[in-house]
Amino acid sequence: MISVIEREVVDKRNWCSREDIMDMVVIAESTPGVIAVNSATFVGYKTAGVLGAIIATIGVTLPSFLIISGLYFAMDAFLTNVYVAAAFKGVRICVAVLIFRAIISLFNLMDKKAFCFVLLVGSFIVASFTDFNVIFIILIGAILGLLYTNFIDKRQMIVCKVEDDDQRSEK
Amino acid sequence: MIFLQLFWTYFKIGLFTIGGGYAMLPLVRQQVIGVYVPEELFWNMLAVSEATPGPFAINLATFVGMNVGINQGGVLLGFFGAFVATTAVILPSLVIVTIVSTVFIKFKSSKFIQGALYGIRPVVVGLVFSALVMVTLTLILPNLKLDDLANSTFGGFDYVSLILLIVFAALSFVKIKGKRLNPLVLIGISAVVGIGVFGFAGL
Repeated sequence: MISVIEREVVDKRNWCSREDIMDMVVIAESTPGVIAVNSATFVGYKTAGVLGAIIATIGVTLPSFLIISGLYFAMDAFLTNVYVAAAFKGVRICVAVLIFRAIISLFNLMDKKAFCFVLLVGSFIVASFTDFNVIFIILIGAILGLLYTNFIDKRQMIVCKVEDDDQRSEK
Repeated sequence: MIFLQLFWTYFKIGLFTIGGGYAMLPLVRQQVIGVYVPEELFWNMLAVSEATPGPFAINLATFVGMNVGINQGGVLLGFFGAFVATTAVILPSLVIVTIVSTVFIKFKSSKFIQGALYGIRPVVVGLVFSALVMVTLTLILPNLKLDDLANSTFGGFDYVSLILLIVFAALSFVKIKGKRLNPLVLIGISAVVGIGVFGFAGL
């Protein structure tokens, strides 16, 4: 996805620099929400300010909105068809694999200290076996991360893998 | 009013998920399944959302909103529901990314934000892993109902789905010219295999 954005936005339109794309990746991965939407908001903002951010965000969302709204009405008819239902059953299995792939890339983003693995296992157990609100699990993770990095392990944190390139662009 | 409630739910989903659309799944599982859509329909929506263009979390939000609206009475309310859910899920992104873009240097060097992110990242991995376990369980134990555990059983082990799961997982690690298979290709393959195995062979 990043290479497609880079080609469109940097090479074709000249809206952003290559360094901006690096920043975009860092921001998109460390702010809430869907990464594709965050990327669009960032590029829109860089190009044309707040209005640009709004327009780019609408732009990246609109196809989903239109396609899914249309498909919704076809879905009932679809699913009563034996073969379509069979295809969906196949895709559902594939979705599990895609979630697994997402977990691997999320895992690559996190630090590999024992503290992090405790949080990982802890959140897994609480989310799997209790009804504890997921939002609170995330907030507790944030607080513990804050305490750990400010009081226990004060070394320089790695924001993201493209950090080195960012430092270059700041000079 | 259900639309306000829907807006609030999706606003929270958009606000508290760091790490992309898949990171939303744990929250969606807890706050959407059984509340706005029945479980079976939800899994089908998830499959359609993956197989259509656009970020799947946005597709899913539109889907759920549409369903809520239509159940309130008619197509127009359906579109309104879709609009509400989609807007709610992107609104936090829009505001936060715009602010962060203006103060990016401070954002990057802020001990407060980076410390919080340091803790959030592993938590999200654990949460999404928990969601994956749920998804896998519903695939291989079709009689298990997440929103009605009291009335579900562990019977009817679906070994065909388990085998396919392992096959697709292996396939997803196959590299062609140093690149892993595109998710859309993987989805296409799984649809065709699904038709063959569940449709024609009738397993």
